[in-house]
Amino acid sequence: MKEKWRMLITEDNSAYTNMAIDRAVIVTSQEKKVPPTVRFFTWSPPAISIGYFQSLEEEVDLSVCNNLGIDYVRRITGGGAVFHDKELTYSIVIPETHSQIPKNIINSYGRICGAIIKGLNYLGIESQYAPINDIITNGKKISGSAQTRKEKTVLQHGTVLIDVDVDRMFSLLKVPNEKIKDKLIKDVKQRVTSINTILKKDIHFLKAAEAMKMGFEKEFNIELIEGNLTNEEIELTKEFETQLFSTKKWNHKR
Amino acid sequence: MQSKSVYKIPNGKLLKIFLEFDENKKLIKNINITGDFFAYPEEAIDILENELVNTSLIRNDIFDKINTVIIKNKIEFIGLNAEGLTEGILRCFS
Repeated sequence: MKEKWRMLITEDNSAYTNMAIDRAVIVTSQEKKVPPTVRFFTWSPPAISIGYFQSLEEEVDLSVCNNLGIDYVRRITGGGAVFHDKELTYSIVIPETHSQIPKNIINSYGRICGAIIKGLNYLGIESQYAPINDIITNGKKISGSAQTRKEKTVLQHGTVLIDVDVDRMFSLLKVPNEKIKDKLIKDVKQRVTSINTILKKDIHFLKAAEAMKMGFEKEFNIELIEGNLTNEEIELTKEFETQLFSTKKWNHKR
Repeated sequence: MQSKSVYKIPNGKLLKIFLEFDENKKLIKNINITGDFFAYPEEAIDILENELVNTSLIRNDIFDKINTVIIKNKIEFIGLNAEGLTEGILRCFS
């Protein structure tokens, strides 16, 4: 019999809620109260997440974000700034000791990215893993991920671009040198792609999520059963949201 | 004195260091290590920042201090290393 993991689909949450859910599931997973959990989610309003070690004011134009109603949040994972708009975001929370998860961090990135690659394949997109944390198709980035390990638990979350607006993204992010901004935007446009761009049609989030579900099931030889957050996770999410992710202390930490 | 450096680690990530230093004694007074790298465990960067205070601004001293902290705390970096961090700190002066 195949091992059963939990699948969560949570649409249209704020950046604070999204980050708080991932953090809450680390707690319940560590306490062995829930099976390995894969979540597919979206953001409303659109938001920028920055890596744990990034300086918020160095990376993000806060006044533009405030004017446009774009949220910003510091992740508990390292890596770079991401504008979450028209995308599928995934997260997986699984014990570090699970037999399916390589002990080596870089290898485990590759393994989890394997699920996304298989998911993209179900949508008709051929892609490859580009170590450490990217997935590319025809040489262009379509997905990026970030992982942390705490409380003997692995959290990896990442984005799969359904559509991309590089100009909008750059209006929100600070660039080191304004003079080269135009060139930078041109470069990024050539280096980034999306599901809609490749398939030349609009793919709905739920359709992409269904493909990713099959990708995870195939990669890990498991069955994903759709479920909900437990009451404890809902309470923990509220706590992490109000006491951590929505606070100035956390987001302006660096 | 306060200074800042932006340094792309060869084959790695973009490191941005904010440094406060004592000009006369040539010592680090405060350091903030930021960037899009990964470090496991994440708290290791806070430890590193604390341990670097009062380190003299000499390449070998900085490098040795960083390496000691890495070994002691079993830090694993992705997109960052002791050489790159040392270089980033020293670039605050050039």
